[in-house]
Amino acid sequence: MLRARELVYDYPGGRRALAGVELSLAPGELVCVLGPNGSGKSTLLRLCAGLLAPAAGTVELAGRALAPLSARERARELAFVPQSLRALPACRVHDFVLGGRYARFPRLAGLFARAGAGDHAAVGAALAEADAAELGARALDQLSSGQFQRVLVARALAQEARLLLCDEPTAALDPEHQVRVLLLLERLAAAGRAVLVATHELNLASRFAQRIVLLCEGRVVASGPPEEVLRPEVLTPVFGQHLHFARSTGAPARPLVVPWPASDGAGNAGGQ
Amino acid sequence: MGTSELTPPRRAAGPWLLGAALALVWLADFAWALRLGPTRPFSLDEAWRALVGGAPLDATDAIIVRLRALRALTALSVGGALALSGAYLQGLFRNALASPGVLGVTSGASLGAALAIAGLGGFGPGALVESSGRLGPLFVTAFALVGALAVLVPLVFVAGGGGRISVPALLLAGMAVNALCSGLLAAVQSLTLGNFEVARALFAWGFGTLEDRAGWQVALSWGALALGALSIPFVALELDLLAGGDEDAAALGVSVPRVRALVLFVSALLAASAVSVAGQIVFVGLLAPHFVRLVIGSAHRALLPLSILAGGALLLTADCLQRAWLPGANLAPGVVLSLIGAPFFLFLLASQRRELSSW
Repeated sequence: MLRARELVYDYPGGRRALAGVELSLAPGELVCVLGPNGSGKSTLLRLCAGLLAPAAGTVELAGRALAPLSARERARELAFVPQSLRALPACRVHDFVLGGRYARFPRLAGLFARAGAGDHAAVGAALAEADAAELGARALDQLSSGQFQRVLVARALAQEARLLLCDEPTAALDPEHQVRVLLLLERLAAAGRAVLVATHELNLASRFAQRIVLLCEGRVVASGPPEEVLRPEVLTPVFGQHLHFARSTGAPARPLVVPWPASDGAGNAGGQ
Repeated sequence: MGTSELTPPRRAAGPWLLGAALALVWLADFAWALRLGPTRPFSLDEAWRALVGGAPLDATDAIIVRLRALRALTALSVGGALALSGAYLQGLFRNALASPGVLGVTSGASLGAALAIAGLGGFGPGALVESSGRLGPLFVTAFALVGALAVLVPLVFVAGGGGRISVPALLLAGMAVNALCSGLLAAVQSLTLGNFEVARALFAWGFGTLEDRAGWQVALSWGALALGALSIPFVALELDLLAGGDEDAAALGVSVPRVRALVLFVSALLAASAVSVAGQIVFVGLLAPHFVRLVIGSAHRALLPLSILAGGALLLTADCLQRAWLPGANLAPGVVLSLIGAPFFLFLLASQRRELSSW
């Protein structure tokens, strides 16, 4: 589905953001990109979405190179879910989600063509799939953070793309809504989409990701199932000493990683 | 489960009502404009006969009708062009303060025109036309266009050539261009103070003029406005999607550099044509789109065409009011617009603070 090879990207100032990153994603997979602040998670997502052009390396979508595609062609193949918007458009949720249909409108849709019944049906289905059906008639600026995040996912679903790239979808959400968003993304992956999530939430990644890609200073330092990546000897060099390791109860039992002062001692061997 | 998500949203009647009301204002203003002036009022029928054909009028009457009609047509097209230009720039920059004036396009055009006026030695009604035939005004128009393009081309190059210039940077660049052009304009004025004709012409240009517009000038401004209107379907939906930011629009499939370049070019062309035909007329580009937005919202497919109607209505109404109330004063339309527009704008700001901030 998605394959990134040897991606290199430099920030405008010249500092290297990514230095040869490999990534692949199959339909039905939910993969989390983890890493400290500034490790290149968001940059990697933007390169995969075609919003940035790599200095070197390639991104392929279902075997086709991403770079030559037009913006409209890209938007039909993949959907990028931003963390937030620069400004909230003054419109209703339904009309906002309708924006996700843009790449499927006929050219010059601006003045003449109306969104068709099919587009409105797709918006309704997307809102329903994202647990946001009841929000359609609300004004965009009257939503809570959790509701807005679901609406952003709904707009991505309205694009009917097979690949979802989510940039920190749980930032600014309380635990209840964090879990709800991840349950939603898990369901979308189970329905056959490929989902790539950049996040700081180690424990949500542990529970929901089939694979974790761990970035540090622009390089992939570990990649694999949560059990392999969320270990002290892997995480401590990346995130530092202030981590406490444990395991969840219940099935499936998964690693838990909690920020915790190292001076409290004795935590790091726990559970492993 | 609500049902709203499965049924298309209801079509608001608002845009059509506003459009019909503004079209009526155009007609009423035009008929009114034919009645205003030192000699007798004329009817729409007489205007048709003087401008288009039919049973001919008395020669003097025909000239007067023609002048009044051309003045009104100029006001409509210039107001419409400035308003569309302002609506475009406000949408592109997601900034309620954007207007052709802010970007420096108006200043550039004015500077070009001032240089031409100074070079010609005056721009008084009559003097210019008599002394150099049609070459003089054409010269001024051409220079205004050159001045506007001299400001615009670097902007399009920087903003549209794949660059990632930020909106504040662009607005600051516009301020710098404004300051530069104002300084140069002041220099031109200082250097030509000794020449009464030039000083008077530059003063008149400063607040705009609708006096003695020639047929070709009317054609020029309407042609530019038609080009601008033709561009609307190419960018209306795209400007809606740009509300969430350039990157968000790009992710949804909008070709942001193309939209940005087209909108910048068209809005500068509109402003340049307006300035070159009628001088600097303030507030229309800022006020008319805001008025429309407050009535029908910010969906560009309705906002852009209605801004044309609102801008034309605003400028022609201001001109008619000025000529009806102060028949002898011959105030420039910019004066009236400033006097009416500035308090109205402050009132809008105060009463609609929430809408403006959410936008």
